[in-house]
Amino acid sequence: MPVRRKIFVLVLALSAALALTAVAYAGNGGFAPATPHSPNARRINDSYVWIAIFTGAIFVLVEGALIWFVVKYRRRGRARTAEGPQIHGATRLELIWTAVPVLILAAIASFVFYKLPGIQDVPSAKAEGGPLVVQVNAHQFYWQFTYPDGQISIDELHAPVNRTVRVDITSQDVDHSWWVPELGGKFDAIPGHMTHTWFKADRAGTYRGRCGEFCGVFHAAMKAVVDVQSQTDYTAWLATANSTLGRGEWEGSCAKCHGLQGHGGFGPNIATNALLTQRQGLEQLIRQGRNEMPPVAHGWSDQQVRALLAYLKQGVYKGTSSGG
Amino acid sequence: MQPYRPDWRQGRVMGWITTTDHKRIGILYIGTSLIFFAAGGILALLMRGQLAQANEHFITKQSYNELFTIHGTTMIFLVVVPIFAGFANFLVPLMIGARDVAFPRLNALSYWFFLFGGVVLYLSFLAKYGAARSGWYAYPPLSANMFSLGHGQDLWILSLHLLSLGSLLGAINFLATIHNMRAPGMSWMRIPLFVWSIEIYSALLLLVLPVLSVGLTLLLLDRQVGTHFFEPQDGGNAILYQHFFWFFGHPEVYIMILPAMGIISEVIPVFSRKPIFGYKAIAFSTVAIGFYSMLVWAHHMFSVGLPNFLNVFFMLSSMVIAVPTGVKIFNWLATTWRGNLIFDTAMLWALGFIAVFTIGGLSGIFLAAFPVDWQVTDTYYVVAHMHYVLFGGSVFGIFAGLYYWWPKIFGRMLGERLGKAHFWLVFLGFNLTFFPQHLLGLLGMPRRVYTYSEHGLWQTYNLISSIGSGVMAIGLLLFVVNVVQTSRKGARAVNDPWLADTLEWFTTSPPPPHNFDRLPYITSARPLRDLRRRLAEASG
Repeated sequence: MPVRRKIFVLVLALSAALALTAVAYAGNGGFAPATPHSPNARRINDSYVWIAIFTGAIFVLVEGALIWFVVKYRRRGRARTAEGPQIHGATRLELIWTAVPVLILAAIASFVFYKLPGIQDVPSAKAEGGPLVVQVNAHQFYWQFTYPDGQISIDELHAPVNRTVRVDITSQDVDHSWWVPELGGKFDAIPGHMTHTWFKADRAGTYRGRCGEFCGVFHAAMKAVVDVQSQTDYTAWLATANSTLGRGEWEGSCAKCHGLQGHGGFGPNIATNALLTQRQGLEQLIRQGRNEMPPVAHGWSDQQVRALLAYLKQGVYKGTSSGG
Repeated sequence: MQPYRPDWRQGRVMGWITTTDHKRIGILYIGTSLIFFAAGGILALLMRGQLAQANEHFITKQSYNELFTIHGTTMIFLVVVPIFAGFANFLVPLMIGARDVAFPRLNALSYWFFLFGGVVLYLSFLAKYGAARSGWYAYPPLSANMFSLGHGQDLWILSLHLLSLGSLLGAINFLATIHNMRAPGMSWMRIPLFVWSIEIYSALLLLVLPVLSVGLTLLLLDRQVGTHFFEPQDGGNAILYQHFFWFFGHPEVYIMILPAMGIISEVIPVFSRKPIFGYKAIAFSTVAIGFYSMLVWAHHMFSVGLPNFLNVFFMLSSMVIAVPTGVKIFNWLATTWRGNLIFDTAMLWALGFIAVFTIGGLSGIFLAAFPVDWQVTDTYYVVAHMHYVLFGGSVFGIFAGLYYWWPKIFGRMLGERLGKAHFWLVFLGFNLTFFPQHLLGLLGMPRRVYTYSEHGLWQTYNLISSIGSGVMAIGLLLFVVNVVQTSRKGARAVNDPWLADTLEWFTTSPPPPHNFDRLPYITSARPLRDLRRRLAEASG
């Protein structure tokens, strides 16, 4: 009787799993990493599928054997004293189930190593005149991108389509991790340490990225967008980049805590705080932080501070409140 | 006949506080760990409540970060590691035919370190700015003064120091006991496989806990004295801490799974009415896992940007561990083959262990391949993997052990009806909670986010996961009901209710303070079965 109940629950669990699978296939998501749009990400997915073939087979073997034995050798009313055959082991079997996994792991490792250079090594991209190099500086809680000619953008990385882009990643405060699933894996942003990755997006469009290493209270809000454009759009954007810097800084590094209008949220209301217009006091505060406020402007250039100040005066500061 | 009633069952509080009896300390360990299990479980339910829907506001971001930090710390340091110390305390002397552990007073000290370590951790919620909120691994610079204000982090370090000290003393005690106090005839190839697992559990604790203590002490110095060991802007190195932490942290995973595997290796043969298949293979695979576990730590650091040869080394060493783990699973399956399988609750948990731990082991192979790890690390995929191993593995093993040894520990049989309902609800709830998390990780959901704005599949999987956690909670409540009912009117247990193989079933249930009046001859790894056969031959 317990066996019948067991089979019933098993059927229930299986149908739940089937339903789940159906839902997942309908949405086309969740059974492999995100659809790749860069050669490195594609090779990671190939490795994933290769490993899934072997592990899938082992899964079916082990769970199949388990269910088969459970059904076949169940008690069926035998006394507890009824013993099975007293078999203590079999050396040959032990050798087989040690050696076969070794071979499977060797097959998995070989394939991964075969794919590895295409994932890890930044292509020399001679035909394009070498990779485009973008510096990624991670801060609590935003991404800062510096382009070869010194332009800066916040939380939004612009890149030309079909062009090899190398990203050099570091952090200005705590550990973060650069991750745009469709364009490759995670690489940590660690202060005092530089990591590299690359991508070559095969399609124009926007790709969403997220911070992959827990970095504090706004970790969930630390998102990035990679805006892949045609070469002409990219060049045009570069020319205007500096004019939107102040606003980007406000939205990326201030507004997540203080609100888009500066009326407060996690951080206090600053829209009417005169400090916003005082270069010296403001600069010291944002470069060094205070209490719960992180040093958001750690490592900023003079030009960046000026851009923020200009935007604050023009777009955020509402004058002192009537009370004082 | 009045069952044997040891004097410590008379309900004297002082007796419990001053005890040095390994059995009472074992019960204290198990009881305290189960209370912390409930506390850590409540933290997890709060998190699943917060994540049940997109853009939920049930919990604030700071509180959420405290929740997952203390949840992880609780489950690892206050539940799984100490509950196995509890099992080991109660069982190791009984299993090897000893009177007590080697150092009974040290043993009591270990327990009190553990209890007060836990109390410090939970009281840290009352600190200014709240409890620690930089994850159970507390990476600097996030755990440094500047980014973790208040004393929550310092109290967390203090708590871990106390817990480590307790575990270290316990480990020394178990090693001394197993090496020196085995009964005549109890050779290394005859000790129960659970004792083998405690041998390796203790050896690993002894080898890796000091490394954690060093890392935490340096972190404390950075926070309180103004040193710069891990502060890059002053010439320190943030990655160094990660090496300290994971050199401890990965063996810790095996510290938490090997005793569960030891329990499974005891339960499956008894309820299959067969000897364990490949005793030596299982014993040696335990040793092999222990050895390799100290060579794999940097697979937690694949995304740090280590030199390629290190990534390759740690990928291969991590994959190698799959081999001895596979050996165990195949041997357990072979043990059930042609057996007389009795599906008592303990056996259900053991079979459930094989079913779900296999999934956790296989998902680990994806994580070992470092380019794939770059995609899935620090996502919900890892949360799923790790819970399949630590819940589906360790906790299923713990429940198998509780249902199996409860009669020996307390002299009453846990109820089978409630036990089975407990198992099936937790089994179902567990898979509902954690299987969708693999898919969430692959969809791109990072770990440790207090909320998400995506709808569609993200929302569906998260909701399923949260519902599953509720189903699990109901199952776990049934265990509490079962314990209460059993203590009131559970059936009295005879010495050896399961017709088991090992020495602890030779004495009364519960055992007297001195454990054994005398011991049977030990001529194999199954002295009790030998004894039953000798008696059967003598009588007829």
